[in-house]
Amino acid sequence: MASDSVINIRGLSKTYGSGKKQTLALNRLDLSVAQGEIFGYLGPNGAGKTTTIRLLLDLIRPSAGSATIFGLDIRADSVEIHRRIGFFPAELSLWEGRTGDQIINYVASVRGDTKGIVKHADELAERLDLDTSKKVRDLSSGNKRKLGLVIAMMHSPELLILDEPTGGLDPLVQQTFHEMMDEYRAKGKTVFLSSHVLSEVQAICDRVGILRDGELKAVESVEKITNVEFQWVDVVFRDAVPAGLQQQLERLPAVTNVSTNGTRVRMRMVGDFDPLLRVISGGYVETLHIEEPSLEEIFLAFYSGDKEKTE
Amino acid sequence: MIGSVFVEILKTTWKQMVYWGVGLSAMGLLVVIMVPLFDMQAMGKLLESFPPMILAMIGVGQDLEVFASNEGFVAIGFFGKSALIFAVYPVVMGMRITANEEDSGTMDVLLSLPVERARVIIEKFLAYAVSCAGVVILIYLGLHLGVILGGVELDVLRLAEVTFYLIPLLVFIMAATMLIAVFARRRTVALGVVTAFVIVSYMLQTIGTAAEGTVAESVGAVSFLTYYNAGDILAQGFIWPHIAGFVILSGIMLLASLYRYERRDIGI
Repeated sequence: MASDSVINIRGLSKTYGSGKKQTLALNRLDLSVAQGEIFGYLGPNGAGKTTTIRLLLDLIRPSAGSATIFGLDIRADSVEIHRRIGFFPAELSLWEGRTGDQIINYVASVRGDTKGIVKHADELAERLDLDTSKKVRDLSSGNKRKLGLVIAMMHSPELLILDEPTGGLDPLVQQTFHEMMDEYRAKGKTVFLSSHVLSEVQAICDRVGILRDGELKAVESVEKITNVEFQWVDVVFRDAVPAGLQQQLERLPAVTNVSTNGTRVRMRMVGDFDPLLRVISGGYVETLHIEEPSLEEIFLAFYSGDKEKTE
Repeated sequence: MIGSVFVEILKTTWKQMVYWGVGLSAMGLLVVIMVPLFDMQAMGKLLESFPPMILAMIGVGQDLEVFASNEGFVAIGFFGKSALIFAVYPVVMGMRITANEEDSGTMDVLLSLPVERARVIIEKFLAYAVSCAGVVILIYLGLHLGVILGGVELDVLRLAEVTFYLIPLLVFIMAATMLIAVFARRRTVALGVVTAFVIVSYMLQTIGTAAEGTVAESVGAVSFLTYYNAGDILAQGFIWPHIAGFVILSGIMLLASLYRYERRDIGI
């Protein structure tokens, strides 16, 4: 992996503060991302995803360890690396008093190839249905994020580093974004995408790294991670919960964590739904709600033995 | 492309430069137009009756003859009185070099582009220095317009010297603000320290001017404002060692800012 890897991280650590206020944000991270891969960097808020990305961009300096991008050192060769990458920050902030066009021209002029870049930016803006003539302060948060994506992608970078890119985008634009990522992969380009939304990672990524409390817990294929998937199921009966239903549910091998509250029954469900549907058919089911597990729950399930249970 | 940050800063700053310049030049124009309304001999006698501390507070040293002239009236009424107002613009611009952009998060976007941190700071510093010079030019135009409109007898060359002497002073204040912001990291902390720096300097200058000829005069020597004295400039013209001092100190602060900014985390 390391020989053709675009990103190569070795023992990267970052500590904030000093003395008693010292916080370890990233602990000896080892990670490689191959060329042409869309790598999902998953973790709950505060896990260290943004810290990793800011280290890769040389915005903050590592406390220990090193990393290369395209074989270039992230500190010594940051300008050359930045020439070849596109970046979308999690907390996107743009120059409020400038229009989208003005910002695109500014970024293009700093990149040094105004004509070609601006033309491509216009194409991207059109594809994302973004009006670049408006000032940033007049754009909705979703449109600001579209502008951020245009800025990240307008020079067709070899590597895209995207920190939670789709939050606030409507489903149609998210779909367009997913298509763009597929096109990137088809062109042999690399994407490093951080997210805490499992479905997004499932939709576009090849491999996933799971980060928790500053430590990389696993790097797996998307299929392997999603094999541990389970759902939370909420059943609401019109009348009271049928007598003995809880005991019947607890006897089902695919169902755990059953709890009842008035006319509502909540349970954790793995595998086929048919046994569950047969059991609850004894009452009048008003609504049936299925909820995707949180990333943290997936993570816990993956490492607490549920993996074996689901396979 | 080299110069792109410089050009962008000029594009985004020219309006503020014009607003500040027009506002300050209007103040200057008003003072110049008022000159014929005053009897300068009577003004001289009035100044003689003031205690040194009061004179120092309105920016007048011991050389009362200089101030009992048309040029002296402008020096007191505009340059002496407005020292703290002049300081606001370079503080605002100095905060924009790093602190404001770090605080808002736009620095992350800018530094993710192929541009060195040093280049960003140097180009922004130069652009805001040009903007400070623009404000000073507008101030002079306002004063000159006042001379023409009011038919006031003023030595416009000396007036130009007093006015353009402001450029190294404003650049110095901007450089000090930038340096403090680079070290303080937090915008609010930097702003507090810079404000304290300017106000304490003003107080030290006032004490030093009031106590001329005594040991306390050396207290005023610590204040950078002591080296911008409209009365001295009116009497002697450009005081080149003071100008060189402002330029050299600004350069040193720029270098110190570059050194520190290159080595620290951004936005933390």
